[in-house]
Amino acid sequence: MSAPLLAVENIGRRFGGFVALEGVTASFASNKVTAVIGPNGAGKSTFFNVLSGVLPPSTGTMRFKGRDLAGTPQHRFAHLGIARSYQITNIFPELSVHENVRVAAQAFRSRYDIWRDRAALTELDDKAAAALAAVGLTHRGSATAKFLAHGQQRALEIAIALVADPELLLLDEPTAGMGPEETKEMIALIEKLAAERTILLVEHKMKMILGLSDRILVLHHGRLIADGNPQQIQSDPEVRRVYLGQNDGYA
Amino acid sequence: MDAELIAMQLFSGVALGAILIMVALGLSIIFGMLGVVNFAHGALFMVGAYAGLWVASLTGSFWWGLLVAPVAIGLFGMAIERVLIRPLYRRSVDDPLLLTFGLGYVLVEAVRIAFGSDGIPFPTPPELAGVADLGIGFFPIYRLFVVGVVAAVLILVWLCLEKTRFGLIVRAGARDPLIMRVLGVDIAGVWLLVFGLGVGLTALGGVLAAPMRNVNPEMGSLVLAEAFVVTVIGGMGSLVGAVVAGLLVGVAISMTALFAPEMATIVMFALMALVLLVRPQGLFGKPGRA
Amino acid sequence: MTLSAQSLDAGPRPLRARLAARRVPLSILALCLLPWILPSEALAVNVLVYGLVAVGYNLLFGYTGLLSFGHAAFFGTGAYVTGIAIGRFDVPWFAALALGVAAGGALAFVIGLLSIRTRGIYFSMVTLALSQLVYYIALQASSWTGGENGLRGFTVSELNLFGWTVDFLDPVKKYYVIMVFAAAALWFVSRILNSPFGSVIEAIRENETRARACGYDVERTKLISFTLSGLICALAGTLFALHLAIVPLDILHYHTSGMIVMMTLLGGAGSFFGPFVGAFAFLLMEDVVSLWTPHWQIVVGSVFILFVLFLPKGIWGTLMAWRAGR
Repeated sequence: MSAPLLAVENIGRRFGGFVALEGVTASFASNKVTAVIGPNGAGKSTFFNVLSGVLPPSTGTMRFKGRDLAGTPQHRFAHLGIARSYQITNIFPELSVHENVRVAAQAFRSRYDIWRDRAALTELDDKAAAALAAVGLTHRGSATAKFLAHGQQRALEIAIALVADPELLLLDEPTAGMGPEETKEMIALIEKLAAERTILLVEHKMKMILGLSDRILVLHHGRLIADGNPQQIQSDPEVRRVYLGQNDGYA
Repeated sequence: MDAELIAMQLFSGVALGAILIMVALGLSIIFGMLGVVNFAHGALFMVGAYAGLWVASLTGSFWWGLLVAPVAIGLFGMAIERVLIRPLYRRSVDDPLLLTFGLGYVLVEAVRIAFGSDGIPFPTPPELAGVADLGIGFFPIYRLFVVGVVAAVLILVWLCLEKTRFGLIVRAGARDPLIMRVLGVDIAGVWLLVFGLGVGLTALGGVLAAPMRNVNPEMGSLVLAEAFVVTVIGGMGSLVGAVVAGLLVGVAISMTALFAPEMATIVMFALMALVLLVRPQGLFGKPGRA
Repeated sequence: MTLSAQSLDAGPRPLRARLAARRVPLSILALCLLPWILPSEALAVNVLVYGLVAVGYNLLFGYTGLLSFGHAAFFGTGAYVTGIAIGRFDVPWFAALALGVAAGGALAFVIGLLSIRTRGIYFSMVTLALSQLVYYIALQASSWTGGENGLRGFTVSELNLFGWTVDFLDPVKKYYVIMVFAAAALWFVSRILNSPFGSVIEAIRENETRARACGYDVERTKLISFTLSGLICALAGTLFALHLAIVPLDILHYHTSGMIVMMTLLGGAGSFFGPFVGAFAFLLMEDVVSLWTPHWQIVVGSVFILFVLFLPKGIWGTLMAWRAGR
């Protein structure tokens, strides 16, 4: 068996006295879709922030392709092959849609060059165009990002992460605030992307998760309470208890 | 160099620190609640001093100046919030900062027009002139008075923050208007009051400082830089931080003035640089807000 | 405030884009005409020098989104170092100019290193305080700087370079010599803005969190931008010293920083032409208003307040938005 793409061992995160995440151990193999679910305040966002380097874990170790991530600054994560999208749309509002994606692609090509003409880096335009095509935004390339419709901004959000060509793509509630039609398109997009890379996503829409995921992690009060395929998770008594709220025994 | 001289200089640092506390506290309260750095704060300190001077000369009594000027300038501050700053709340945090900078510019020039560009001496009130022998040395009565007033104001502000509903809202520091509305708080009214309070505090600092130095239109610009230093050292939004850092800076200035006078104006900036290196959020600031 | 450089798509080749493509030659053309438009050469040189400071400042404020209140330190350091090099060490003017720029840039690097550790609103306060530190050092080191009286005694009456000699006392010649440096700096800034690095600073201005997630070292990028911006301001300072032959202490005061901020915003932060337009408007306003009252600051300050309230894009930015919106 080959080494997992990402392996986290016993990671936890505290904020002062508050334990947001505790003792989570899991590993993620290539080309699978894993969903992270849990009630509000379960620690999903903290888990994502730790995995994407926004927050260093208080305890535990993370290995990406065998490499220890301890002490790695956040901006290095994209270079290692981990990219993320955000729950609240997080784009460059005043830049054009094309430029939004292009500047994301540029991070792997040129970061401190103050001399050359940026227009000369034409391969970035190709990459940006490809990423926009993948999310279906080709026709909106010259629009200013802040004027896009909500669903289109969500798609742009993913294009920005996608252009990094990450091996691990973290999607934080990609369908947040979307109507049914837009959600359907997003699901199709994620399925398409999943063919080539490992995807981890946080979601609330159960039906979507069950159809999309190969594997589901369930967090509750910062702990991992279940880890299995959709069938296993659906029949897990503890998960049912948590979600039905019959017995909240994890205080 | 004898112990008595050091004690006197130490005390003079405390008095200087007391003034800085008034200014920094106002700055900090306004920022904590409104998220606005008031760059006109130094100018309003100066306007407070002039208002005190004017009222005192009209009534012939320092006490009227001390009482009326901070209240009047506080009301003026509320007018500023209402007319100039409120339209900017939905914009970037830089906008109120830029606006208040321009306002400071205007206020300084307005005072020059009204009172002239030269400094005006502000006599120490006769009741508070002279020195008192406290056993460990002779201390100017007026400075003792300043320290007393500032201590009293701090206790009042603390009581107001800890014991009243208004204080509860201010301490929560919530800039989330939605939650405030859910709680049934008139957020616009609270912001108005907070801005007035902050400005009133700096104006009080101005009146109190006036007899210790000349009153001149530029007196606010040094104070603004000093208040920034105090706020950065203490941590923005922290009452304890403002008090500790104010005293620290005041004492540091007066002690260096004793031992290395040419370094006196420089030492506080060095202190600030040190704090920035070791603890960028300030001594009492919460990480993440810095 | 929303600063936009490349927003507002309107039409295939909007005026904005056409101007942007030729922004350096157009700027130089405007600067060539300046002494013939303004009432005096001295005012023209002032517009040139302050316009250049504002251009340097705009790189940080308008394009990187950092509101510094400490740029007087770099402007002033450039001026002082040049003056001291010439007056005290008899350094040739060209070398003195290089020294001034290097010193201002080095100081920007150090102040940047300290202030970029802080975020948001703190940044403005810390840059202001650190620049005041420089002010007080200059005030105390009066044997070097002349203290409150300012630095004097380094008049340059002619410039020699590679066998060429220019009479620097002739106001018109002086203007055009200084303009050559300003033009070179403008070309340099234009290159930076067109470079890949220019994309990065705009991305950081727009959304720091996202830029970091995209793989950019935000702090390092800001520090580079801060230093570049300080270098341009220092160059303006050296030119200012050569022009005036004195360096007033006030050049280091944060009021000078404030003036730079006001000019940049009046003209239009985040636009290439904005800073020069702002310096032009500010200094012309000062010149005209001070004819009938010594209290011109009250007028300029009020105009600035009105701009913050109603025209935050500044003169140039508003003009472009209005053109695009028609």
